[in-house]
Amino acid sequence: MGANQSVPGGGPPGDGKDKKDAKKEKPKYEPPPQPTTRIGRRKRKQAGPNASAKLPTVYPSSRCKLKYLRMQRIHDHLLLEEEYVENQERMRKAKATATAAPASAGGDSDAMDRNADERGRVDDMRGSPMGVGTLEELIDDDHAIVSSATGPEYYVSIMSFVDKDLLEPGASILLHHKSVSVVGVLTDDADPSVSVMKLDKAPTESYADIGGLEAQIQEVREAVELPLLHPELYEEMGIKPPKGVILYGAPGTGKTLLAKAVANSTSATFLRIVGSELIQKYLGDGPRLVRQLFQVAAEHAPAIVFIDEIDAIGTKRYESTSGGEREVQRTMLELLNQLDGFDDRGDVKVIMATNKIETLDPALIRPGRIDRKILFENPDQTTKKKIFTLHTSKMSLSEDVDLDEFINQKDDLSGADIKAICSEAGLMALRERRMRVQMADFRAARERVLKTKSEGEPEGLYL
Amino acid sequence: MPSREEGSKAPPSAQDKGKAKVDDLADVTKEGEKSKDGKDAKADLPPEELSEEDQKLKEELEMLVERLLESDTSLYKPALEAIKTFIKTSTSSMTAVPKPLKFLRPHYEKLEAAYESWPEGEDKASLADMLSVLGMTYSDQNRHDTLKYRLLSPSKDIGSWGHEYMRHLALEIGDEQQLRLEDEKSTKGVEDLKQLALSLIPFFLKHNAEADAVDLLSELEMIDKISEFLDEDTYPRVCLYMVSMVALLPYPDNHEFLKTAYSIYRQYDQYTQALLLAIRLNDLDLIKQTFFDSTKDKTILRQMAFLLARERIQLALPEALTDDDSELQGCLDNSKQSEFFKYLAKELNILEPKTPEDIYKTHLENMRTAGLTNTDSARHNLSSSFVNAFVNYGFGDDKLMLVEDKASSWVWKTKDEGMLSTAASVGMLMAWDVEMGLDKIDPFTYADEDAVKCGALLATGILSSGVRNDAEPALALLGDAEKLHEGSPNQRVASIMGLGLAYAGSARDEVLEILLPVVMDKSQEMRVSAMAALSLGLVFVGTANSDVLGAIFETLIDEDRQRQLDDKWTRFMSLGLALLYFGQQEEVDVLVETLKAIDHPMAKATQVLAEACAWAGTGQVLNLQNFLHICNEHIDEDDDKATKKGDELLQAYAVLGLSLVAMGEDIGQEMILRQFGHLMHYGEANIRRAVPLAMGLISPSNPQMKVYDTLSRYSHDNDIDVAVNAIFAMGLLGAGTNNARLAQLLRQLASYYHRDANALFMVRIAQGLLHMGKGTLSVNPFNTDRAVLSRVGAAGLLTVLVALIDAKDFVLKDSHYMLYFLAAAMHPRWLITLDEDLQPLTVNVRVGQAVDTVGAAGRPKTITGWQTQSTPVLLSHGERAELEDEQYVPVSNTLEGLVILRKNPEWES
Repeated sequence: MGANQSVPGGGPPGDGKDKKDAKKEKPKYEPPPQPTTRIGRRKRKQAGPNASAKLPTVYPSSRCKLKYLRMQRIHDHLLLEEEYVENQERMRKAKATATAAPASAGGDSDAMDRNADERGRVDDMRGSPMGVGTLEELIDDDHAIVSSATGPEYYVSIMSFVDKDLLEPGASILLHHKSVSVVGVLTDDADPSVSVMKLDKAPTESYADIGGLEAQIQEVREAVELPLLHPELYEEMGIKPPKGVILYGAPGTGKTLLAKAVANSTSATFLRIVGSELIQKYLGDGPRLVRQLFQVAAEHAPAIVFIDEIDAIGTKRYESTSGGEREVQRTMLELLNQLDGFDDRGDVKVIMATNKIETLDPALIRPGRIDRKILFENPDQTTKKKIFTLHTSKMSLSEDVDLDEFINQKDDLSGADIKAICSEAGLMALRERRMRVQMADFRAARERVLKTKSEGEPEGLYL
Repeated sequence: MPSREEGSKAPPSAQDKGKAKVDDLADVTKEGEKSKDGKDAKADLPPEELSEEDQKLKEELEMLVERLLESDTSLYKPALEAIKTFIKTSTSSMTAVPKPLKFLRPHYEKLEAAYESWPEGEDKASLADMLSVLGMTYSDQNRHDTLKYRLLSPSKDIGSWGHEYMRHLALEIGDEQQLRLEDEKSTKGVEDLKQLALSLIPFFLKHNAEADAVDLLSELEMIDKISEFLDEDTYPRVCLYMVSMVALLPYPDNHEFLKTAYSIYRQYDQYTQALLLAIRLNDLDLIKQTFFDSTKDKTILRQMAFLLARERIQLALPEALTDDDSELQGCLDNSKQSEFFKYLAKELNILEPKTPEDIYKTHLENMRTAGLTNTDSARHNLSSSFVNAFVNYGFGDDKLMLVEDKASSWVWKTKDEGMLSTAASVGMLMAWDVEMGLDKIDPFTYADEDAVKCGALLATGILSSGVRNDAEPALALLGDAEKLHEGSPNQRVASIMGLGLAYAGSARDEVLEILLPVVMDKSQEMRVSAMAALSLGLVFVGTANSDVLGAIFETLIDEDRQRQLDDKWTRFMSLGLALLYFGQQEEVDVLVETLKAIDHPMAKATQVLAEACAWAGTGQVLNLQNFLHICNEHIDEDDDKATKKGDELLQAYAVLGLSLVAMGEDIGQEMILRQFGHLMHYGEANIRRAVPLAMGLISPSNPQMKVYDTLSRYSHDNDIDVAVNAIFAMGLLGAGTNNARLAQLLRQLASYYHRDANALFMVRIAQGLLHMGKGTLSVNPFNTDRAVLSRVGAAGLLTVLVALIDAKDFVLKDSHYMLYFLAAAMHPRWLITLDEDLQPLTVNVRVGQAVDTVGAAGRPKTITGWQTQSTPVLLSHGERAELEDEQYVPVSNTLEGLVILRKNPEWES
């Protein structure tokens, strides 16, 4: 940005010089108030030259010519900027070559050499190894208080080649190993454990791999994907798009599967975490993780945060004496705040999944935090059929297999059970070294699956 | 419900969101295409499984299509009706194509063929109707099937096909019209399109889609037709939308929009709003027509008079009106301004005068430097008199100047020109209160020192700025030919300035008669002539008065004056010329062309200035580009001195021009700030000096954090001129806001620059500006909901900034009285509610941040984060007020300035 005034190109003309000298005689000057404006603001968007670099927001959000014209105006202005900067850069280069030409013939390579030379010199100044520390406080333009990992805090100078706009309290910085002066800034200060949650490779499951669940898919897409893609639809209607959804229902009904499909199909950043991951060893770590999670999400907005097994931390609050319990509850409180707290989260949508919605704290799933509760039920006949066809579509079945038999039976099968039946049948066939799965395999598999299923839940105990 | 193919389609990227309208409208089409692609890809897979209902629907539709393709004509009609019913009754999710449309897609081409073969008749038209809807999912680029079949089918009830269809149709109409206009060979007119478009308008208006209606009509260039379709409920939204588009439209369209909105407001008897639009159009005849012929209602007339007085437009009232209402002239003359202002001060409990020390708060400055400063120098005292003048502006009371004891008056603590400025500050203190003010000034006119006498003259002018008195004291006292031609140069300049300030914007012929000879008189030194030209420019701002134009122009080409043109004061001559064309937009081209005839570096600078003034507040990108091109060049050192000076000035004007053109339009205003960053980075010293001033000009009295953050950085620049200008800009930015953060920054600057007399002087001035009128004033030329650009205000600001481009030659040297031109821009940022007898009325209002509600759904709140206060209240930049209850009805639509309230007859508490 042009804000950097230490650039020599825009230097003052002759008479500025004596002023400068005059200034030097003065006693130590009151620092410009610049650093103070940043203190406490971790968000870079707010202060300084970056704020003016941000493009204005365009209203109205509905599709109309007014919006088009306004965006076009921004576009025009950006073109103007580009033109001006390009021209200036060209002229500057032309001037540089004009002055350098008499000195040496190969002006260009010379300049390159010089650049490399300068970079090398900066590297020398930085020294190696460098320490990593935290910036505690900015004193003035070139001094700061830093703390290193080992403990003591130092009052040190900031090297002139450090980009001061990136410096902010709490930032990770590089320190010279002897003089401990600030020689660089480590920009990405998010906890590595949070960045792990970011999904780099999309899961392979897509919507096409879900049998049935049409209503659920539609609800999730309306609540999560559409607001990110077409926010104007909601504004035109005059409603706020939902902030998040909770998927609940019996085990094995496809909650996580649906979340995977959402991750597969969206181009938004997808962060996933399991509720139990938020329970940490040290006090305050859990809430901090939640904060960081949402901070990362906001930085990468539009983003979708998926929290699986939310009941791990989201159970009803109660009077508890155990410190561990209380910590878990505090983690949930932080989550409550992040979901619908003071700061607007913007383009961050939340999907939660649980199979025990009745144990969740009512505050967690109130409208405004979680606007939609989507129930996943065990599949009905047609859905069962779809799921069967899905799972068997890649299996080699023998002629006599007729899946309708299973579909028409009134078993309480979930999607996972069906999958289990299919793979169990496959295993049976494998045991007998057959190339195709036969109807008998399916029948046996069904028996086994149903048996193990009913074993899990003692029947009639609570009748 | 989404089917499998849609699930597998590639999701639109996140960047897609918020893309412009065209994309969104084509969504349905895209969706359709995609599902087709999906089908192709899955062709080898077993056919898609459909639920039973879907299967049934599909079969039924196929059967119906079969029927249409058969030859039995008697079955056509029922089959078509059935299909239509299917389409109309299908509900779908937002993401998917309605099912019937999806199932009918494969048959589209067959149906098209069938359409060709059918005989003319009712059935054919009906089929076209259906094909038009189907075409929505099937249109490839530029096929425009929807439109084609719509034109072939005369059906009346097209609204029943739903909103999405209507929008799609509107889009195709626009496209098709473009195509037809571009294609010169085509003989097809666009008449049929226009007819169709007009039939769509009522639907849009009925369904809350006024934006679509306006867009469609403006696309077809017949926006004036919209008034035929409006009614009581729809016109406010339509007008609001149209007016907010004005700033973004190219030249002829924007006037067209304003005129249409004007006529709509007239049609629905919204006189005050119509009047504001007439003012924006800068059309005096239209203003007169609105004011004189529209209504006989006394209250409305008075309200309109207040609005006109705010813009300093003076009209000669016909006798019929003055006879009816004796107060009307008073409203138009602003004669109660002082009374109201003191009422405001009393209500807000700020009558107590403040001393400069109250403003400086030196005890909060860094103590190390205290005592080092020479607190009693003439220069320091001078800055104090300015601060005193700004802070106690219009209150009629202070602790320095208007003291009982004449001998101890502050005037004697200053020297030379300082005495002039100090004496003139009485005019600021007594502003608007002409009669009392003249009494207070009187003693100074008998002083022995010439400078004090001059100051008294200037004070008389400042005093009557913005108000008009029947006796015309300013004209009588200042227009004295003897003083103008015989007096000392300072006396002449002071009188001329005074006249300019007192009659700014009034376009009075009397002033013309007095000042014109001064401009033409070759024996006058350049300073006097230039100031006369500037004053004329202020008086006739934006009128393009040919007499003034001729006189200034003659002076510029006069042989005898050629050598005078190098004088530093010449710039005000050209400024005077430029101001004449303020807001005249493309009319200025004539002037620019004529100026090319003058062979002097000054001419080019004048062109730029004139262009900037003419397009002020329009946000036109072309002009901005032009100015940037001027800034592109780096001036070579070895040019001869005069040319260099001219070119430097040229670039500085271009920078100011950027700001002047971009102001008033939110987007441009924000974007231009980025540009200033680049200019600061690459520009030479002359550009760098102008940039802070331009930043001050872009948001006066509107302390935005990001602007003053940057300015505060510039205020420590190595180039002291940049720093001084940045300090002034900080003052301008916070003028009249009492912004605490800025006050703190300025205090820090005061101790930082305690040794540098010039910078310190400017810091003091900036502090004075910040607390202008004890925080009750604003210098922002935009008023009445930031819609109307006050030409006088902008001209006043511009004059001061032009003087500051070379601050060392003017304000920091001996011409600091140029700062008084700010008086033209100063106006209380108040809301005073009056009853119908023009007595102040206390009601509760909510004051909050204005919200841009244009195009938003429903009835959104127009303000946010409000507080309830009782009038009179102060409104900061970007704030809006609304009445708390409906006991009264405001006569003016915007609650700002002086507003008359009427009892609501339907009110029951």
